[in-house]
Amino acid sequence: MKNPVAVIGSIVLGAGTTAVQILSLFIQTVYWTITGPFKRKFAKSESIFDQMVFTGVKSIVIVFFVAFFTGIVIAMQSAYQLSRLGATVYVAALVAVSVARELGPVLTALVIAGRIGAAITAEIGTMVVTEQVEALNTLALNPIRFLVVPRFLALLVMLPCLTVFSDIAGIFGGYLVGVFNLHINPSLYWSTTYRFLEAKDVLTGVYKSVVFGIIISMVGCYQGLNTKGGAEGVGKYTTVSVVASFILVIVADCIMTAIFYFSKM
Amino acid sequence: MHIKTEDKNGIIICYLEGELNLNTAPQLKKAFEKLISEKQKKIVINFTDLSYIDSSGLATLVEIFKKLRAYGGVMKLVNLSTKIKSLFEITKLEKLFEIIDNEEKAIASFA
Amino acid sequence: MEKTPVIEIKDLVKIFDGRRVLNGVNLTVYKGETFVLMGGSGCGKSTLLRHMIGSYKPDTGSVWLMGKNLTTLNEDQMDEVKKKFGMLFQSAALFDSMTVGENVALPLREHTKLDDSVINIVVKMKLELVGLRGFENLMPSQLSGGMKKRVGLARAIAMDPEIVFYDEPTAGLDPIVSGVIDKLISDLTKKLSITSVVVTHDMNSVFRIADRIAMLHQGKIVAEGTKQEIEKSNNGLVRQFVKGDADGPVTFFKDKGDYLKDLIG
Repeated sequence: MKNPVAVIGSIVLGAGTTAVQILSLFIQTVYWTITGPFKRKFAKSESIFDQMVFTGVKSIVIVFFVAFFTGIVIAMQSAYQLSRLGATVYVAALVAVSVARELGPVLTALVIAGRIGAAITAEIGTMVVTEQVEALNTLALNPIRFLVVPRFLALLVMLPCLTVFSDIAGIFGGYLVGVFNLHINPSLYWSTTYRFLEAKDVLTGVYKSVVFGIIISMVGCYQGLNTKGGAEGVGKYTTVSVVASFILVIVADCIMTAIFYFSKM
Repeated sequence: MHIKTEDKNGIIICYLEGELNLNTAPQLKKAFEKLISEKQKKIVINFTDLSYIDSSGLATLVEIFKKLRAYGGVMKLVNLSTKIKSLFEITKLEKLFEIIDNEEKAIASFA
Repeated sequence: MEKTPVIEIKDLVKIFDGRRVLNGVNLTVYKGETFVLMGGSGCGKSTLLRHMIGSYKPDTGSVWLMGKNLTTLNEDQMDEVKKKFGMLFQSAALFDSMTVGENVALPLREHTKLDDSVINIVVKMKLELVGLRGFENLMPSQLSGGMKKRVGLARAIAMDPEIVFYDEPTAGLDPIVSGVIDKLISDLTKKLSITSVVVTHDMNSVFRIADRIAMLHQGKIVAEGTKQEIEKSNNGLVRQFVKGDADGPVTFFKDKGDYLKDLIG
């Protein structure tokens, strides 16, 4: 029987080392993103574009559905509560603020972690186990510049875009419930939304999504670059990547919400 | 690499000096873009002082040859060292280019 | 003929998890020769190759490539060295997302200022050398194992390297295709005066291509010499390896007592 203190200690130590390594990957990625253009070694613009299409454009449908139905659900759940107070018109405010501040960024990040984070790890992991990353190295092409930077930039740009898009989709879902089920006057619904939804609500959501984008791309690339053990390893590391991204997104969300809350943002 | 061109009675002689490699090949292409824009038809490339040529150098020569041919220009290569000549043979390019022993013969062949 | 050393390995020691994988290796490879490094699975020959291409750093000792001590170079200096050698990986390591032509063109696109039209001609020339001209637009997944290796070779020689490293070039190929690859290796070495370093345990291949041979066993060079010297060697290890005998200095079976004890626990 192992000493439980030692077990906990080794887990903490392992997590700490991983955190340091991911941080170092992040620093190197930022370094290559910034110095790339000056060294005439910038990641190919077409590969950044490809990644953006893959990350952003092709995720629109799923992000739309998730946010849209969540908007409907929130509207119905809050109507159930608010109808007792005879204040169903505030459904508009509740949907708008909760989607913009919380559900839009978090749900989009989770969807993208599952879709893109997994794809990043699987793709890079496959390249590692088939010696392609080593081949990049021997061709004097830095894998961070070549593989990580385009994916990082794509997520950094596209996740906030998708988040704003999901805000709109969620509010639209709420609107449908408000107008067709609760019979709120459409113009009243919009004016209530406008009155309660402030720019800072949307902005805090966008700030969150930037951090989520960094988390998903870094965890995905880190797991990919460290993949071992052939095809089976790719599957294993991909799973870990998604799980770790989920947990880190939720934890980061909690921390950021606390910061916004206590700084009255 | 150093490139020097000379006009001898309407025949352009191009002297290459040094190494024609990955770094210097774009230089050669640039020099020829000028000759091609002038639609020069008779060109001799003198290899006497060229110590080394790599595949990018050979490819640049092929590219120049293609552009010259498009408007009826002719280019001849002279004074190739045995080492460079064998490289043309390995890459099967010796049949594409007209390779001549020396400059005089090349000039005479244009007459 | 005068001999200029292009690769020099001095007292190389590498320890993985407390095991001395390389235990004081000394080796010199001369310009223009085909040098074969042979040895059984797990003898450390792949590790030794990874030291020569700068993927691993030695624990003690040094690796000199074309007059440069790899252990003291920074990343930019190492990149300059990497541009002067090519490597053919065991799995060919072609980039799955790129066509054959793009694979061969990649190092030229990234490291030179050559125009695309010139690069395309170079790509055709290199593919002609390996007998695959006209396959530019295929994807790696559409090629057979032998064709992949030939494309990998075309990519390795794209920048006109001075040294080409081959990791198990004939592993997993049928005898005819193996013969083709061997012929390509010796042709390129002779015609383009490239120095070749081949790591293999395919004995047919060894005697077809080698100028000089070294045998690695348990992290040490146990024999080194010309092809003729190795063929006539009295060293028991070498003889067993060349003939492929199950019995000899290297044993794969533990003695019986051990086994019976193991059965009854």
